[in-house]
Amino acid sequence: MFRIFTSHKSPKNDWEAIEPILRTEKVLREKGEITPARRAGVIYRVNGANAFIDNLPNEIDSILYDGAGSTKTSYQLKDDSVGMKWIVLEDGNFQDLVSSVYTVGNSISSNGGKNNLIAAVFEFYFSGEINGKTKKLGLRTYCIYRYDRRAFYPFVPTGDKEGDRDRASEAVLANDMRKSGLNIETALTEWMGLWGIPF
Amino acid sequence: MSSTSKSFKRDPKLLSRMYLTMIMLGVLYAVFTLFLLRLGIPITFVGIIVGAMAIFQYYMSDKLVLKSSGAKEVSEKQEPKLHEIIKTLADRYNMPMPKVAVIDSAVPNAFATGRNPDNALVAVTTGIQKRLSTRELSAVIGHELAHVANRDIRVLAMGNFFVMLTSFLMTMFFWNMLFGGMGRRREGGGVMMIAYLVTMVVYFVGQMLVLSLTRYREYGADHTGSEISGDPGALADALGKISGTIAQIPDQDLRKMQTANAFLIISASLKNSGSANLFSTHPPVEERIKKLRELEHRMKYGAR
Repeated sequence: MFRIFTSHKSPKNDWEAIEPILRTEKVLREKGEITPARRAGVIYRVNGANAFIDNLPNEIDSILYDGAGSTKTSYQLKDDSVGMKWIVLEDGNFQDLVSSVYTVGNSISSNGGKNNLIAAVFEFYFSGEINGKTKKLGLRTYCIYRYDRRAFYPFVPTGDKEGDRDRASEAVLANDMRKSGLNIETALTEWMGLWGIPF
Repeated sequence: MSSTSKSFKRDPKLLSRMYLTMIMLGVLYAVFTLFLLRLGIPITFVGIIVGAMAIFQYYMSDKLVLKSSGAKEVSEKQEPKLHEIIKTLADRYNMPMPKVAVIDSAVPNAFATGRNPDNALVAVTTGIQKRLSTRELSAVIGHELAHVANRDIRVLAMGNFFVMLTSFLMTMFFWNMLFGGMGRRREGGGVMMIAYLVTMVVYFVGQMLVLSLTRYREYGADHTGSEISGDPGALADALGKISGTIAQIPDQDLRKMQTANAFLIISASLKNSGSANLFSTHPPVEERIKKLRELEHRMKYGAR
């Protein structure tokens, strides 16, 4: 009733922010804008201040495969050129993929590594049209989730150099993603890119 | 293409507003000087110092800008396309080829400086080269060269001189109020207080007038630049691209920003919030685009 000043609720936790991507993926896939996503990555940094984070590669098996919420998601550990660590997750079932991304992020966060978490990245292949003319079939597109802002934004790199990105496509995608219920970062200046994603 | 003549059809409304602002500035500072002299405050000495600083700035503007902005002069061999664009435009303005510089920055920006066309310098960032098409970049540089052709640096230097002078005097009066001085210790406390307050008012009013004058010069440069290129739409497109909503999407990498933030108190993302500060002395972009579109329409279909 008193929603005059806020148009939407901001998510209270990571799950509340991440879960709507299930609907977004379905809506955009059915619209023919994206092809089904199978891969995602969680980026974190190691600074030697947290034993759990330092030892994370040995913990992932138990994080992913032990307990009631265990999935068949496969994973790989990768380092990138900027010195960050990536947990690359792959699963043919998007729901399981999302759940695994959340689980990994949540374990890092609840073990004192909240500040080590940088982002979760979902990979899509763009198959839509931009402004009704340029068909960008199969363009690699990412949906970045920033843990510090609890919000998503699309990222369409056009090259490996910092700054190479297709801003117009990102704006179109963000609009559709927002309409499907995803919490899109409202400050465009916060849509930082990730060049050289190692998957 | 368009006419290369220098007799552009000026916008009469814009011109009258510009002259009115200049007259108001002149009156403001004349009254202010008389007021200070009446109070018996020797401002000649301060005037000479600030004047010398302003003249130094005026004559060295191109070198100072090169130093402070990190712009590097580039040869025709290093930047053939950029040189070609600037050469074509300089020919249309009937001015000698300016110095060409590039700033290694992702922020899309361009500027021209130099007290006259013989000492002009045009600098563009790598960001603007990447984001704009040749047609749009040419329009932006055409706008910048219009500032040189219209002698805007001279107008700006004059405005800056007065703003600098009042800010210098304000500081001087402030310290005098606290500690006395200027040869009549303690006696002139009240006078200093009045002088300080009046200077403060003159400083703010003067700055507002200088800023509005700068905005008028921007419209003027949009107009002249469009006459020269014959393509006002190109500048409108460029402005839309480099200052529109999409332009706010940054060039930076999230991981680098986050690493840097670990050592910063103020978030880098807050500091780099868009490019709005670049345009603070500029009129609203929407308004400029609107005027350019109108001009484009007039050029295509003639004045109604």
